[in-house]
Amino acid sequence: MRAVETLSADILILGGGGAGTLAALHASNRPGLKVVVAVKGLLGKSGCTRMVQGGYNAVLHPDDSIERHFLDTLRGGAFINDQELVWILVNRAPQMVAELENRYGCFFDRNPDGTIHQKPFGGQTFDRTVHRGDLTGIEIMERLRTALLARDSVLVLEEHRAVGLLRDRGQGRVCGAVLLNIRRGTFTVVQARATLLATGGGPTMYRMATPSREKSLDGIVLAYQAGALLMDMEMVQFHPTALVVPGSELNGAVLEEGLRGAGAHLLNSLGERFMARYDPDRMERSTRDIVSRACYLEITAGRGTPGGGVWLDISHLGRATVEALFPGMVERTRAAGFDLATGPVEVCPAAHFIMGGVVIDESCHTTIPGLYAAGEDAAGVQGANRLGGNGVAESTVFGALAGDVMAEEVVGTPRLEPDPHEVEAHIEAATGPLRRDAGEDVYGLLDRLRELMWAKVGVVRNRSGLEAALAELAELKERAARVKTQKAAPAFNLEWQQALNLRSLVAASELVAASALYRTESRGAHYREDFPDQDDENWLCNVTAVRAEGGLRLEKRPARLSRINPLVGERRQ
Amino acid sequence: MNGRGRTVRVARTAPDGRRYYEDFRVPLGPQTTILDALLYIHRHLDRTLAFRYACRQAMCGTCGVRVNGVERLACYTLLGAVPGRVVTVEPLRHLPVIRDLVVDFGPFFRAWAAIRPAFVPADNDGAEPARIRPDDPDRRVIDRHRECISCGLCYSACDVVGTRPGFPGPAALNHALCLVLDRRDGAGPDRLKPIDGPEGCWACHGLLACSNVCPKGLDPTGAIEDLKRLVAFGRRRNGVAV
Ligand SMILES: Cc1cc2nc3c(=O)[nH]c(=O)nc-3n(C[C@H](O)[C@H](O)[C@H](O)COP(=O)(O)OP(=O)(O)OC[C@H]3O[C@@H](n4cnc5c(N)ncnc54)[C@H](O)[C@@H]3O)c2cc1C
Ligand code: SF4
Ligand code: SF4
Ligand code: FES
Repeated sequence: MRAVETLSADILILGGGGAGTLAALHASNRPGLKVVVAVKGLLGKSGCTRMVQGGYNAVLHPDDSIERHFLDTLRGGAFINDQELVWILVNRAPQMVAELENRYGCFFDRNPDGTIHQKPFGGQTFDRTVHRGDLTGIEIMERLRTALLARDSVLVLEEHRAVGLLRDRGQGRVCGAVLLNIRRGTFTVVQARATLLATGGGPTMYRMATPSREKSLDGIVLAYQAGALLMDMEMVQFHPTALVVPGSELNGAVLEEGLRGAGAHLLNSLGERFMARYDPDRMERSTRDIVSRACYLEITAGRGTPGGGVWLDISHLGRATVEALFPGMVERTRAAGFDLATGPVEVCPAAHFIMGGVVIDESCHTTIPGLYAAGEDAAGVQGANRLGGNGVAESTVFGALAGDVMAEEVVGTPRLEPDPHEVEAHIEAATGPLRRDAGEDVYGLLDRLRELMWAKVGVVRNRSGLEAALAELAELKERAARVKTQKAAPAFNLEWQQALNLRSLVAASELVAASALYRTESRGAHYREDFPDQDDENWLCNVTAVRAEGGLRLEKRPARLSRINPLVGERRQ
Repeated sequence: MNGRGRTVRVARTAPDGRRYYEDFRVPLGPQTTILDALLYIHRHLDRTLAFRYACRQAMCGTCGVRVNGVERLACYTLLGAVPGRVVTVEPLRHLPVIRDLVVDFGPFFRAWAAIRPAFVPADNDGAEPARIRPDDPDRRVIDRHRECISCGLCYSACDVVGTRPGFPGPAALNHALCLVLDRRDGAGPDRLKPIDGPEGCWACHGLLACSNVCPKGLDPTGAIEDLKRLVAFGRRRNGVAV
């Protein structure tokens, strides 16, 4: 049996991105609480908040309004967002921008008069995206990381990944988690009075995916396994223009939307500007979902590039112009051995964000006592599709909120003992790949999963494809449970990490595919070619998912239309 | 892959902690980065190889290594562009090695802590972000030094870091300048104290090793020059010491 370390804390935060660090900062504002932050990578460096390029949506300008941001977000989300959560988002985002600046020292780009500059972003009726050049995430996460490291009451455990949630035997309350110390290959049990999931989702089970490489939907799967209610798992957003770099890890790096806005053309292998077939009015300036679908259909119709993408060409603007307008993007393509400024580059839609996740209420409670969720792990804020700029707003606003709520609620909460059998079971499951002398190869299975999800549960879906995918996923799940990895070097064992990622991704993929099969209409990011229309009569609702006796149970739940009902257009604010 | 390949020599750690080098043959494509080479080795040649990365696009600053003795981000360095017959990949210097190419950034961030790197609000929780024009002279200086991804490449390249344990290092001092010039920050002269003194900015001999390797094109050497003027002359006006 492996040595297991134990720790006890008031608040355990899983994840060190925008949601996790803000939760820790807010929780530790209350003196006397011991806060532990466990991060799969390095604090503030892993995760996608770090990678935010575009920026942060917040209403700051007097001519803009909270109601407008609210409506834009609902329209983007095709009206299945939880309206109370959206209301919190739009109301608190402006305060959070001020907090980031005034308390942690972030500095966003300014207008000539010294006020904060806001730029346009897709799907918004007002220019409200706050940014720092095209590296907004670095500005935010560097300051938050530094601020958090200065807090003495917070213990940060870097390269510690959560592998299982713990419940007490009596009440079934979540009372901590089992962590794998990646650096040493050992386990740490953290007993906590409140536990926050802030692991940032991350649909990396597709051939093309944009998120940081360590993310594998861990938080959502941990919650599902512990019995929490999930919803909207079919809602996976694809970014239309990720760089295709065959054989390289740079594959899937995002090329920003501004390129299309500035006049870039999308071309297929025949040299046609194919957007003319899909959205003749807006052409390349169409919305994310339509452009993604168009690219995907061209590629699957055999009109793709050799690397399996389409061409994005902006070189007609002239080399100097492109270099001046998009220095970061030019640098990125050059790093990959291409050159955006002088010729076409290959792009392809890539999985970018999951709108679905753990169901939360207005205080970030999940359906299990003691367990909270915020950021990309949580569902409801973004509905069926996320607007650019609402992701980092969500993770910071709800991370801070969760921190405040947990700090408030742990006072007086009893300290519960984790069930030792559950501890044992989590460690047993996690160490499986190390105990086998023979077994499946993790990389082969990861490749298969990614191709399968891309082909059958991707941008365009249909019933037979989804059914076939579910059958294949069942097989992949069995094989993933038989993976064998090297054990000669237990410290920083990357292969073992991949095996655990695979396990999580396969479990999440089943939830995505099953929910996608269940929703027999098209809405937001979810497109069924056998049900191409949005059907408000039957589907103005969320698809919930919960682990039940006989396996996964899916149900319809009416969307929370507490403030505005799109069907009657009535407004009750 | 077109049959072309390169030999990559990787610094490894034996189970007893001893360090050694191992050669691997890696296929070379036009887009192969050092990170891709490491991933290739890991997948196809030796599953025990350990290295660190996250964003794979020069944003997280966790994949730093030394390539033929020069600090680079593995994810942003093309294998084909590295000169020489053999490409040697080693961990960053001045930091304990956890295994193979993975270092413990602890000392690097503890060195940051010496300059009190956290922002201290001067005006406690103003409701509005400060009005600062983009052409504000202090801000223009800060802007030149701001986009640090705390990758530690400069720390590894700096010889003074290796010889003077109290020296905060180029990245920390670069960050200190940004705070000192930020008029929203309230730590004021307190912040200059640890920076002054023989172990502070005066230990830097200004030979640009840090600025040469910064993957973000920052110039910590220049920032340290500015800091020296600030601590020497105390006052500053319009972003430069007077
Ligand atoms: C390339 C890219 C660009 C983007 N651009 C924008 C943009 O311009 N505007 C916008 O609003 N949104 C953008 N987004 C989306 C945005 O990044 C996310 O919505 C948001 O940052 C998620 O924040 P988070 O805190 O929930 O997760 P993250 O910031 O991803 O943090 C997750 C953290 O959890 C850790 N973790 C994962 N698993 C575990 C585990 N098992 N145990 C412990 N820790 C774990 C990770 O290591 C990481 O530290 C972008 C996303 C990507 C990928
Ligand atoms: S210029 Fe100064 S800080 Fe930079 S490497 Fe040289 S001694 Fe170190
Ligand atoms: S100054 Fe440059 S090299 Fe040094 S840590 Fe920052 S980004 Fe890295
Ligand atoms: S992997 Fe993030 S900087 Fe290289």
